[in-house]
Amino acid sequence: MQKSGKSWVSPWLSGSVPVLIVAAIPALIFVGVLLYFTGWALMFSFTNLELYGRKATEWSFVGLDNYERLFTRRGFLESLWTTLNFTFFSAIIGQSILGFTLAAVLRNRYGGVRSVLEVSLMLGWLLPDIVAAFLWSATTSKTGLVNQLIVIPLGMEPVNFLNDYALPVVILANIWKGTAWSYLLYSAALDNVSKEVVEAAKVDGANAWQRTRRVILPIIKPHIGTNLLFITIWTFTYFPLIYALTGGGPGSKTEVLSIFLYKQSFGIGKLGYGSAISVAMLVIVGVMSLFYLRLLKEPE
Amino acid sequence: MNNSRTLNIALAFMAVIWVSPFAWLLSTAVDPIATGQLRFPKELGFSNFAQALTGESLLQLWNSLFIAGGTATLTLIVASGSAYALSRLKIPGRNAFLWSLVLLRMLPPTGILVPIYFAAQSVGLLNNVGIIVALTVLNLPFAMLLLKNFFDTVPVELEEAAHVEGASLATILRRVVLPISKAGLAVVWFFTFTSAWNEFLFPLLFSRTEDAFPMSMGLYSAFGRNGSIQYGFLAAFSIIYATPAVAVYFLLRRNMNTGFAGVGVKG
Repeated sequence: MQKSGKSWVSPWLSGSVPVLIVAAIPALIFVGVLLYFTGWALMFSFTNLELYGRKATEWSFVGLDNYERLFTRRGFLESLWTTLNFTFFSAIIGQSILGFTLAAVLRNRYGGVRSVLEVSLMLGWLLPDIVAAFLWSATTSKTGLVNQLIVIPLGMEPVNFLNDYALPVVILANIWKGTAWSYLLYSAALDNVSKEVVEAAKVDGANAWQRTRRVILPIIKPHIGTNLLFITIWTFTYFPLIYALTGGGPGSKTEVLSIFLYKQSFGIGKLGYGSAISVAMLVIVGVMSLFYLRLLKEPE
Repeated sequence: MNNSRTLNIALAFMAVIWVSPFAWLLSTAVDPIATGQLRFPKELGFSNFAQALTGESLLQLWNSLFIAGGTATLTLIVASGSAYALSRLKIPGRNAFLWSLVLLRMLPPTGILVPIYFAAQSVGLLNNVGIIVALTVLNLPFAMLLLKNFFDTVPVELEEAAHVEGASLATILRRVVLPISKAGLAVVWFFTFTSAWNEFLFPLLFSRTEDAFPMSMGLYSAFGRNGSIQYGFLAAFSIIYATPAVAVYFLLRRNMNTGFAGVGVKG
């Protein structure tokens, strides 16, 4: 401590190191709790702990039983498939591609449509999840906006969308809510693409599509990777909007992993199994992140 | 050009899709006899707002304020102490440490839901205070990282000069460091406030009695119920609930961007 004292703390603070350490203690405790909980989740996943009854207090280790259950019992794999669908269509297809398209199209365009679109994208993004869920529940209900403006004028019977098309509604709602993030990120990325490069390609005779694919996309590739990393993780583990809209139903049509985990842990009370689900989710998210990070590093 | 005309129509179409839920929300909220249909209110009235600001729903507003304000304040206090120490003590690996915490935080919060619930239950914190503590734990890594980057931008020379003049650590913090990093502290406070304000999962899990419901739970349990939904009231309630989150963003937009840019550069 004495030897390297000067290099790791400014001289004027050297007398106050104990104070600084004391100031850091609460944070260390909280962080410790966070780490401890993460470790605890891992440990729980090897037990038969339950929320109620005898196994709430007299739980025991059951080895890999919970993990075996993930693959042998109905539920987890179906839920994983639902989650992958939800993530693929709402985040990757919906938010990312739509966000990029809007950012590219609106880039050199000013005026009413742009402002209206930008503001409403932002409002959707900033809205609390439950308000978005309420809005979508109301607009897609049998007497709601979609039926009133589209279905009934076309002479068809009103449709209860949340019952008949639950997953598409949830996906659309999430696109509506989350596209702003991708739009903002891609707009910022496009601002960094120098106009000269794009102009040069134009002079060389490249059309808009070729300019996008050959010139712009390679330049903003790192941003695409970052964006996909974030939105995939968020969407994969997203809970409030779906839960409030459908509760996972009808049946288990919209039961994504976070809802499955919630129901197993706090609905049925199987905390051990729930922990195994969360560990599985952590592993999947971890693998996805590594995949994107590799994608990001590649061009060098 | 024909091409740009198609584009304009497509854009206008998108704008209509994006805006119409908001249009519905507004027209429903100011319509005292709203039925859930989109229409121009026959007469404008604010009775829905008045109703949303009384009784049970007012209590939910207070609960939300308590949870969000408590979480933001606790997070700020705990984070700033350690962030300042981390900024000034050049401990090897401190950036790696902070980044691994933030990555850990990016993993699904549902992952540690079971242990958090179990711990809260065993110490009897299943109420709003429990939510504050749990949310502080979850918000801390990111708050620490943001604050450390803000403290890093405070010139050490100023602190040294003050020290030479004979100022104590407390005085330097109060007179030099805090005034300069005021914007950063505000960003972290408001940022944590909004995230706690919008929080749904933890109230869903922790709030056992209806008088402890924050607004997110109040809204959820009101439209989730089958039967007649009071659209006008819920629309007004939604607008009140959404306002702080939206306002904070527009108030802090510039500061937030600087904050995140700082994070980006350091990473």
